[in-house]
Formats: sequence, structure tokens, C-alpha cells
Amino acid sequence: MTRDLWKHLILIFGALIVIAPFYMMISYSFKSPGEIDRGEGGFFGRQEMMVDERCVKLRDPDRDDVATAAPRFPNQTDRQIRDALVAEAVADCQMRPIVFNYTKAFTEAPLLRYLLNGVIVTASIFLIQIVVALPAAYALAKLKFWGREAVFSIVLFCLLIPVHAIALPLYIMLAKVGLTNTYAALVVPWTISVFGIFLMRQFFMTVPDDLIDAARMDGMGELAIVWRVMLPTAIPALLAFAIFSVVAHWNDYFWPRIVVTGNRDLFTPPLGLREFKGDGDGSFFGPMMATATVIVTPLIVAFLVAQRRFIEGITLSGMK
Amino acid sequence: MDIDETHTPNVVYAETAQHRTAWWLTAPALCLMILILLVPVVIAGILSFTDYSLGNDTFNWVGAKNYDRLFSSSTYEKMFIATFTYVVTVVPLSVGLGLGAALLINSMGRIGDIYKTIYFLPVMATLLAMAIAWEFMLHPSIGMVNRTLEMSCGTVLEFIPFLKNGCAERFPLWLGDRDYAIWVICFIGVWQGFGFNMVLYLAGLTSVHRELYHAAEMDGAKSAWEGFRLVTWPALGPTTVFVVTISCIRAFQVFDTIEAFWPQGGGPNKSTYVMMFAIFEKGIQQNLIGIGSAITVLFLVFVMFLTLIQRWLVERKVHY
Amino acid sequence: MADLQIDHVTKTFGDTQVLKGISLDIADGEFVSLVGPSGCGKSTLLRIIAGLESQSSGAIRIQGQDVSGVRAADRNLSMVFQSYALYPHLTVAENISVPLKMRQLSSLQRLPVIGAFMPGAHEKNAEIAASVKHAAQTLEIDRLLNRKPGQLSGGQRQRVALGRALVREPAAFLLDEPLSNLDAKLRVQTRTEIAELHRRLGATFVYVTHDQVEAMTMSSRIAVMMGGEILQCDVPDEVYNNPLDIRVAEFIGSPKINILPVEASNGGLRFGDVVLPTVAPKMLKGPIRIGLRPEGLRLAAEDAVLTGQVMHVENLGSEIFAQINLPGHDGRITMRASPAQRNSLHIGANIGLAFEGRAALLFDPNGKRVFNPQVDPVQSEVA
Repeated sequence: MTRDLWKHLILIFGALIVIAPFYMMISYSFKSPGEIDRGEGGFFGRQEMMVDERCVKLRDPDRDDVATAAPRFPNQTDRQIRDALVAEAVADCQMRPIVFNYTKAFTEAPLLRYLLNGVIVTASIFLIQIVVALPAAYALAKLKFWGREAVFSIVLFCLLIPVHAIALPLYIMLAKVGLTNTYAALVVPWTISVFGIFLMRQFFMTVPDDLIDAARMDGMGELAIVWRVMLPTAIPALLAFAIFSVVAHWNDYFWPRIVVTGNRDLFTPPLGLREFKGDGDGSFFGPMMATATVIVTPLIVAFLVAQRRFIEGITLSGMK
Repeated sequence: MDIDETHTPNVVYAETAQHRTAWWLTAPALCLMILILLVPVVIAGILSFTDYSLGNDTFNWVGAKNYDRLFSSSTYEKMFIATFTYVVTVVPLSVGLGLGAALLINSMGRIGDIYKTIYFLPVMATLLAMAIAWEFMLHPSIGMVNRTLEMSCGTVLEFIPFLKNGCAERFPLWLGDRDYAIWVICFIGVWQGFGFNMVLYLAGLTSVHRELYHAAEMDGAKSAWEGFRLVTWPALGPTTVFVVTISCIRAFQVFDTIEAFWPQGGGPNKSTYVMMFAIFEKGIQQNLIGIGSAITVLFLVFVMFLTLIQRWLVERKVHY
Repeated sequence: MADLQIDHVTKTFGDTQVLKGISLDIADGEFVSLVGPSGCGKSTLLRIIAGLESQSSGAIRIQGQDVSGVRAADRNLSMVFQSYALYPHLTVAENISVPLKMRQLSSLQRLPVIGAFMPGAHEKNAEIAASVKHAAQTLEIDRLLNRKPGQLSGGQRQRVALGRALVREPAAFLLDEPLSNLDAKLRVQTRTEIAELHRRLGATFVYVTHDQVEAMTMSSRIAVMMGGEILQCDVPDEVYNNPLDIRVAEFIGSPKINILPVEASNGGLRFGDVVLPTVAPKMLKGPIRIGLRPEGLRLAAEDAVLTGQVMHVENLGSEIFAQINLPGHDGRITMRASPAQRNSLHIGANIGLAFEGRAALLFDPNGKRVFNPQVDPVQSEVA
């Protein structure tokens, strides 16, 4: 029992360190700038009303505003009307820090657009990867043809090349054909997943030949066999690969950083966060952490919901 | 072939037809592999001997000058030092901690799953977002780390020289300090990566046959350590080879944290100027394609060398 | 070599009692089989003997010495596992040498590379190598010493597992279904070899199996286990001919014994309207069951006791088994016939059956054996 206690103590210590930045990220996304600066307010902050200075500044009344508002304040001097309007603005610009942080996250930068880009990019990458890899994996696993060994050795060789490593020549090639700053640039280098081909081939090797022969007897062509026989049998492996692929590309920062410069419409979530950090001033810790939370949350939640599948998918690369 | 053997012409026809379909099925993958993976490697190889930059129509052959500079300039010396410091620190630590956590968790039944989930969180989280969270944590004055350290001031813990110095003067600047920067990067690398290794080891542990532990006990293995030596460690051999290789390759590719902390220049005194960052800075930002390509080629050599060692080790142990 | 004593051993997992107070004495040099259907607790019992699991109560004694609380490693027993449990990274020779190395070398001497240079290591290693060679020769696997388990066939692995067990001289050998992963042909061959090995070594063997044929052919004694109890422990002949419990009767013997529900009254038995030629104890009344071995039944014409229709015939060449439907009884009964009787046993034929009164085994409503005065007057009086 004491031995188990020691184990728990060690593991809890590790867990605290692992959790700390998550805790801080979420906590800061709840707090007002003052609370962040002074390091107070516990996890949720006190959630006292705070005034958004920028909002007040934006509504600073000019001469016209005062003139239009005059009927509402009869018998008062311009100066008094102006003060009343400022007071109104301050009242309107009051909000809870948590609301402030999260609205700022979505309004200060087009975060929704970034998230949408992230979805578009990861989804297209995965779909194209499957469309390309599945037939090839099937042919390599189950069809006999001249040159199969050669193709497979190319696959094995390409497994050695991390795409990040050849980012520079890829960037040059894309620049030469004028594709930088497009969705294509974000997707194209990942369309071929050698790992996916290898993985699916290994999986298809375990599918009995009889199943394919039966499909041929039933009159299916090879392409139909790929999509109507092999694809359904490969669903578990595909799901794992999907998780592997989506996690990698949702979180990828290096490649988007290279091919997307300036054009905010193409920013993926990590790029958007980077941009936010780049032009943020001190008071924007809260909204920035809110943005970070929004970006990290989808995968974390999906992971917590379907833990076993995720771990399977991510460790997939470790299987023989 | 399912076709009746008596119809020989049909068999021949069917075989050539199968050859053709097989090629059609592999063609897209093959083209993309060549275009996206192999051609860039060749391009990088060629350009590393030139002074090419994007926008120029021509270039000059400069022979091995780019490589000469890599091995003579002090900037690149720092690059190699930073990269290897990172790899040599992060790989053993993340593998060791991953194995340790896996063994502890594996020994404690279902409760261990909680730790497994927690330790795996950093693997799923967008590294860039977490890097920004860590940056706040490590903020010299309002960061959680230094605040926690300050709490130890005035307590018995002050006998530790590090804490004593910190309390007397100030705690480290962490990211701003050239003595600490690289270690902070290493720490975050370990923080992010060990959970991945842990689940790989956990998967490896489930494949260890329970009866082997009983056999070891019958054979006279009296302590947990002897059981580990005789059964667990050998059984984890293939996992270890894989985990070490993939940790190395990932460690070589470290970029997100460094770019997030120091968008320019690779850290205080270039102490965290790793290869990926160098490729990004020289090749993309400064348009010095020749030198960037040379770094790319070196990088590929390292990574391929590692993977080939791994394959050799796995093949040697194939007769299990 | 030693005798084993199992003394009122119980084992509970949570709410379920897996072993309900097992007692069994195994003499030095005996070959005892623990046989029973899966889940009967036989493997648990073996693992408790081995020390891999601890009993909830009761004691295991080896050579009179209580070993409760003694670790498996210190009990000096050898075990052959169902999956063989060979170390996959070690060669055959290394696998066989593990029990000797773990026991005879110090932890320093076992260190890789430098261990060989520790004082005394050289001599001990030479001794161990000699023992390994001897064990391998006994099992005729000396050609395989440098291979790894992954390169061996199932039968060869099984021999290596045996080799690892017999390389040292343990107090007893424990075998946990060692033949269940072999194909049928190899199983028969290895059966003989293990029995011969036992005769040659003269050591104590405890053998767990679910296969009654293995138990019948190899053992000096069979302990039939069901539901966490030993129902009967005796020499194979007695267990077959004189089962004390209907479950033992049903478990031992292939094809299975025929069980018929009968009505007992006044020392006689009736199956439906038929009076059976079997005498029952006088005090036995009401519905009971009788067991008839397939070989106890014979074809009969005039003196037929039972009549029925042949539904299916299995011809094994040297003998024939006919499945017969008796009117008024669900389920078929099986009869053994000689090939000469093939002609009268075509499917659909109506035949008559007879049996010797003493061939019927009587079981009371609880399934306990009731002794038949015709067979064993002494025991019937005791009962």
C-alpha cells in the first residue's frame, strides 16, 4: 500500500507539471488584465465588471454626437451632455472579464475564419491522402504487377523523408508556379502520405485473398473492390489514420508559417494566434489566452471523449 | 486467377489487364511521391551548390562554399550546438520518463488511466498555443513559475543554492537568459513529448505475455528488477528502438517553441538557433536559398541516418 | 524430488469461491492429473501449488514443509506453461539455462558482458552449459540450441519448455495443459514421451488438463475436479469403471456414457414400462438415473431389454458407434458395436438392445453413486 502511495505521489507531481500551462491558459482566459498582472483571483478570477478602455475611446463623443444627443438632455450645457454621453459609453462598455476576453478573441481577429480555414485544410488533406493512398496500398498489397517491388522500395525510401525537412525546396517550387498564399499551398505538400500507404498496405496484407476473389466473382472491378470491399474493412485503421492526420495538421505551425505570409484570409488557427501575439500589447493577455483556449479545445475535447481511439491513432505509427 | 484454366488467352488478357489497373491505381501516389518528396530532395541537393535566390533568373555554381560556411562560421557552430544539445537532452529524458510513467501506470490497474489521459494532453494540444502559455508561465515578474519559486523564500527550502540566490537577487529571466533559454526549450520539448512515448510503451507492455512473468518467477527471478531485466526490457526492445528514433526525428524538427519565443534571431546570443529555425530564417526570410539548401541536405542526412540505424536494429531482432 | 500435500486449500476471488477446500496427497514420484472442464479451478490450484497465486486458506506442504508465504522462486518447483512462455529474445540454450543462472550465479555474475569476468563465473558457466547440453540431449533438441523460439515449430517449443523445466532437479514438475497448443498427431506422440520421461526421471508430476484422454493415458492417479472441488481421485481404471459421481461418469469416457432416467422401487428398476435387469438396493425409491457405457450395450434379438431406431452410424474401422433413438426418451444413446455387426445397423433400422445388469451404474437424485448389490455387495452394505 505504501508502495502504491509513492507511485501516486510521483505521478501526481508529474501531472501537476503537465497540467500547469493548461490551467494557466484557461485561468487567464477568464481573468481581467489587472488580475493577471497582480496574480490574484484564483482560477476563475473575481469576475468583477470591468471597463473596456478601447470601447470607451471608440465611442468618445464628438461635436456632432453632442448635438444629436442635445434633445435628450434639455437645459444642459454641451460639456454636461458630453460627460453624460461618456458615462453612458462607460456603462455600455462594462462587461465581465470572461465575456470581454472571449468576445475580443473573436472580434479582434477573424478567429472564426481561422478555425474554418483549419477545418478546410485538415479535411482536404485527409480526404486527398485517402483517395491517393488507398488504391496504391491495395495494388501494393494484393495485385501482382511488374514493378511492384520497385514502387514499394520507393515508398520505403520516402518514409525516410520528413516533409518539414524539405520545406525549403517545396516552397521554392510552389513560389515558381505562383501558388504561395493559396489553400493549395497549405494542402499540396501533404497530399501524399507515404506513411498512410505503408500503413494501409500492411493492413490490406492481412485481408484474406478469398474476400477479393469473391468480389471479383461477383463482378466487381478493381476500383470497385478498393472502395466497396477494402475501404469498409479498413474502417478501424482509417479512423486511426484520420486522427493521426487531423491532429498533425490542425496543430502544424511550421508549414503554414512558410507559405502564408500576410494574407489573413488563409491563416490557420496557430498562425492566427501567432499574429495575435505579435501585435498584442500587455493588456491583451486575456483575449490571447482565450484564443489559445479556443484553438486547443476542439482536439482536447475530442480526445477526452474518444480517448482510446485517439491514443490508438496517435500510436499507430508505433505499430509494426 | 479465378478464370478457368482452359481459356488460356483469357488468362493472359486478364493478367495484362490486372497489370494495367494496378499501374493506374498506383500512378497518382507514385507521381506525387516523386514530385513532392523526391524532386525536392534533388533540388535541395543541387541548390546547395549555388547562390540562387528567389526572384533571380540565374544563379552561379559556388561549389562547396555553402558547406564550407556551415562548418566554419560561428553562427552555424551555434546552430549545431543548439540542435545537438536539444536532441541529446530531450531524447533520453522523454524516453526515460515515458518508460517510467508507463511502468508505474501499468502496475496500478484502472486508476492509472487518469494519469495516462493527463500525460497525453500535451501531445494533443497545439504546441504553438502551449508555447505561448509557457511564455506567460515563465514571465520573469508575473509568471507562475517565478511566483511559485518566490513562495519558497523565507522557508527551509532556501538552503538550496538556486533558491537562495533567487531570493537574494532575482529569479532567472528564463527565456531572456542565454544560460537558461536552451534548457527551457528542452524542458518544453520533454513536457510535450514524453506522453507520446509513454503510450507507445504502454502499448508495448500490453503485448508482453503475462505467463512470461510467471515463468521468470518459477525460474528464480526474485525481485521486480530481475523480472524487468529478464522479461520486460527485452520485450520492449523493438518499442524502444522505435521510440528513440521517432523522438530523435521529432527533436531535430523543433521549431514552434523557438519561433514563438524569439521570432528573430534564435534566442539570446543565438543559444537556441536550431536547424529548422536556421532553414526558415536563411532560406525563407533572408532568401539565401543556397545556404538554406545546404542545411536542408545536412538535416536530411542526419534524419535518414537515424532511420536507417533503426531499421537495421529492428531487422537484426526480427527473429523473435 | 518430494511429495506434495494439499491441505484444505480454498481460494476466493471477490464473491466467488473458486476452490472449495481441496485436499490431495501426492506421493513422491507419482503422476497425478488434475482434470476437469474449463473454469473448474484446476489451473488455479496448480498456480497455488507453484506459488504464483496465494490460497485464501489452507496449506501446501512440500516434503512435509509448509510453503505458504514462500515465493514461487524459492519453492524449487518447475513448471511448463500452456503457452510455453519461452523468452523470445533468448536462444534455446539461453532459455534452458535461465533457471540455473538465476539460481547459481550472483547478480554481479549475471551482468551482461562484464559478468563473465567476475571471479568464479567461468567455472559456473561451464557447468551450466553442460547441464543445458544434457537436458537438450534428453529431449533430442541439441541441434536447436542456437535458434530463437520464433524459429521453432510448436512441438519444438514445447520441448524447449520441457527442457527448461527439467534442467534442474526440482521437487516436482507442474504442467499446465502443455499439449493443448499442439496438433492432434503431435499431441499423441508427446503424450507418450512425457509419460516415458516421467518413468525415467521418477519425479513427481502434477499435470493439469481438460482432456480426459490425456489424463487416462498418462497418470498414475486422476483427480477429477468440478466446481472447485475434487469429485474423485483414483487410478484411471477406477475412475472409469467406478465413478462416484454422475458428473465424473459423464466427463470420463468417449463417447460419453449414456444416462437414462429410471424409476426405482422394491429393489428393481423400470425405464418407462420396461423392467431393467438390474438389481437396486431395497431402500432406493423414486426417480433415479443410471449410466450405461456404450461398450456395455449389445445388440440383441429375443432377450432385448430396450428397442430403438438407429439414427446415425459412425464407422471408425475397428469399431462402430451407433446412435439410437429410444421411444419415450429425448436424446440418443450411443452403442459400440463390432464391424461385423455393420449390416444390422443401417440407418432407420429398428433394433433391440441388451446389457448385463451389473453394467448399469446407479446414481441417486443428487448424482451420487449408489452401489449396486450385484457389483459390489460389500460397498452396497456400507452405503
